[in-house]
Amino acid sequence: MKFFQALKAGRFPSWRLFFHFDDRLLLISIGALVGSCSGLAALALNRGLITLFELLSHYRHLWWAFVLPGIGAALSSLFLEKIMKEGAGHGVPEVLYSVSRYGGLMRFRSSFSRLISSCLTIGSGGSAGPEAPVVMSGAAIGSNIAQFFSLNDRQRVALVGCGTAGAVAAIFNAPIAGLVFTIEVIIGEWTALNIVPIAVASVFGAQVCRLLQGNQIAFTHLKFNIDPVDTLACIGLAVATAVVSILLTRALRLSHQRAHHIKLPIWVKAAMGGCVVGGIGFFFPDVLGEGYHTIGSMVEGTFSNGLLFVAVLVFAKIIATAFTLGWGGSGGIFAPCLVIGSFTGLMYHRFIDILWPGVTWVNEGCFALLGMAGLISGILQAPLTGMFLIVEITGGYEVILPLILVSAISTTLCHSFEPASFYMKELVEKGHFLRPRTDARVLADLSVEELVEKDCIVVPKDMKLGDFVKIMQKSHRNFFPVEDEHTGEFLGLIHLDDIREYLFDPFLYETVFLEQIMDTQVETVGLDDDLSVVLDRMDAANLFSMPVVASNRFVGMISKATLLDKYRNELIVQTHH
Amino acid sequence: METRLLHIFRNTPLGREVLLQSTYFCKTIGVQPMIYIPEFIKFLMYFENDVAQIDLDSSYLTAPETARAHAIDIVRSQGLPEPEFMEPKNFTASTLPDIPVNFDFMCCPRSISDLSSKIGLGYLGPRVRRIVQSARFPVLIAGSVFKPWTSVAVMFGGSANAVKALKLGLRISRKSGLPLDIFTQLGKHTHDDYQKIIQQKHLAKDIDQQVRKWTVFDSGEFAENLYDVPHDALVILGAYGHGIIKEMLFGSVMEKVQSTLPNNLLIVGPKYQAAM
Repeated sequence: MKFFQALKAGRFPSWRLFFHFDDRLLLISIGALVGSCSGLAALALNRGLITLFELLSHYRHLWWAFVLPGIGAALSSLFLEKIMKEGAGHGVPEVLYSVSRYGGLMRFRSSFSRLISSCLTIGSGGSAGPEAPVVMSGAAIGSNIAQFFSLNDRQRVALVGCGTAGAVAAIFNAPIAGLVFTIEVIIGEWTALNIVPIAVASVFGAQVCRLLQGNQIAFTHLKFNIDPVDTLACIGLAVATAVVSILLTRALRLSHQRAHHIKLPIWVKAAMGGCVVGGIGFFFPDVLGEGYHTIGSMVEGTFSNGLLFVAVLVFAKIIATAFTLGWGGSGGIFAPCLVIGSFTGLMYHRFIDILWPGVTWVNEGCFALLGMAGLISGILQAPLTGMFLIVEITGGYEVILPLILVSAISTTLCHSFEPASFYMKELVEKGHFLRPRTDARVLADLSVEELVEKDCIVVPKDMKLGDFVKIMQKSHRNFFPVEDEHTGEFLGLIHLDDIREYLFDPFLYETVFLEQIMDTQVETVGLDDDLSVVLDRMDAANLFSMPVVASNRFVGMISKATLLDKYRNELIVQTHH
Repeated sequence: METRLLHIFRNTPLGREVLLQSTYFCKTIGVQPMIYIPEFIKFLMYFENDVAQIDLDSSYLTAPETARAHAIDIVRSQGLPEPEFMEPKNFTASTLPDIPVNFDFMCCPRSISDLSSKIGLGYLGPRVRRIVQSARFPVLIAGSVFKPWTSVAVMFGGSANAVKALKLGLRISRKSGLPLDIFTQLGKHTHDDYQKIIQQKHLAKDIDQQVRKWTVFDSGEFAENLYDVPHDALVILGAYGHGIIKEMLFGSVMEKVQSTLPNNLLIVGPKYQAAM
């Protein structure tokens, strides 16, 4: 550890040029390491899922097999709650929260906890995906490696991004999607400082995956001949995927809220949710697990069920996903989105085929692909991620034009009904979603304590006005806090504008005490208050400064002028590269 | 700026004793207690370059309906005004609050993750160690029974952390008006070496003025020599000042002290920024 710190500090001259001259080289080097580790984590989960799925496949046909997802979800929940002592869920909001608020600081245990829990949930048949757990794991690996090297907040965030990119690149064998997802969803800032190490990490993540399990794309590459009429029809598909995205988002939230109100241990709720999924899966096996096999058959055009059945599958998968994730199972929504999106694309293709039987439409597999992009773009409100992911996992650019159209329209429509994406909704509602270079982010990095002006003269309540006038002449301030001489308690404030009429009447100098003329209805600020809240209160009351009070004692004043000064300094720090 | 001590309150007899120690500490050196009554069994502390998850034992959630009143009673019984209570504003997950770390002191029992029945002298919980290692504030490790302290004792071994501990000891002695003693176990350094360190750190004048006695043990086992530390002293010492490998090989002075002395300990970690 000390060696690395010395290395960083440039104490070894031969390394100085490499590490100290430009910290981008340092980030790229460590980013490659983080990307490789994240790739290994993704691969471990992938192998774990295959093993568990194969292990349980012998029991799937038995009548009691519907309890398997319940058992898996309960074990997953118990593991997270009792052993790891972490909350349920997919973890991406936790990554976003840590990047927004704490410069990407994450716990070490998060680098493996979600891998195990999601393996139990998904491997047993729960309707969830391995991508979000892998994202959390990769991000935590990046964060902990950054902590090991004692890197600063900005560098740590970049390494969290490296972990995320490496993981996504490895799990989908899609390095560009890894890079784009990280920048678009996790980091939210397109700068060279971030993009270069994240791109390198993405390459290393994908390369580790290719080395250990071969360079395979997730779905068969097919050539599609897309006519203008198909592109036109995509507008309708975009609307359909937007509607389904909104349905899925709301179903997940509703399910989570319902489960939250049931007073049962979390593992019991997870087991109940899992059994419901198992029950649905008994009649519609395509909704179980991550569902890549089903997507494959849809893309290849071998999924033979009719329109009505596919429509039912869309809703069955939405319900299964809501019960898996909302009731305490562990996993992500990426894979369910892909499955639901491809069902939606297929459903839409069959619908327009019935509506306009004379038109020769492109193969239904193409619509399944476009549906996946539409749903990913709609749910995550990340159109670039949707486009590049589909291009990479299908290995072709033929569908790029309708892909852009569907992703763009779906994102826009979803944004109208759900202003924040599924990952960000809760954080936005709590005011915790702070993107770089925004007002909220700059204010969040400042505290009331840093802005307190302490050059105020505190006066006792029983001081005569005449004595106060003498003190006032020595001060350049308009505000004078009043406190109890014996207890030190803050009592109120004297503002010169409020007492101007008394100041010019010397007769009152010996007869009026400050206690009689001070303002006792003063709005105060606490040391732990958020600056954005303080600023809102100042604006609402049309104030330029407010007293800061802690434990009923006056601490100092906070003013908009000082806030602006510090705000500017903080903005320079945050945007300086 | 008013200095504040964070106290995680547990509404049990052991918790009462620990809060009494905290309150006595606050009263003696003029610190404002800030009490957190946990609603969840875990919370996070985001330090500068580390995040520690503190998993509390279930006794911290005992009788939440009376916890606040009990805490107020205990603080008032020591002649302090009603304490401030800390309500977490930020949550990493719905049941995982983040506790701010901008305090000047924090009080912990020897362990906050294990049931009180399992805690004995000589056992310092992993969470408490983590807090000491990462925090910018010193950690007050309170004894299991309330006992007012009437002097301040600093363990001074010459390391950077020991210097920080000495500075803190001088400050506390000055603020409390209580006498300060220094204890040093001679090892590879001589007494003159320690005097040189004091000179280099410009502490000689303060030590001449404030220190009642500097006891130097030049023979005997350190653990045996600790018998000379007053039973009613607040013991201040630095921790983790020698690097992980060295402490793994030769053991930590802090571990020896905490496993031998039943006194209240104020531990200064490597991240603490000393102020005179």
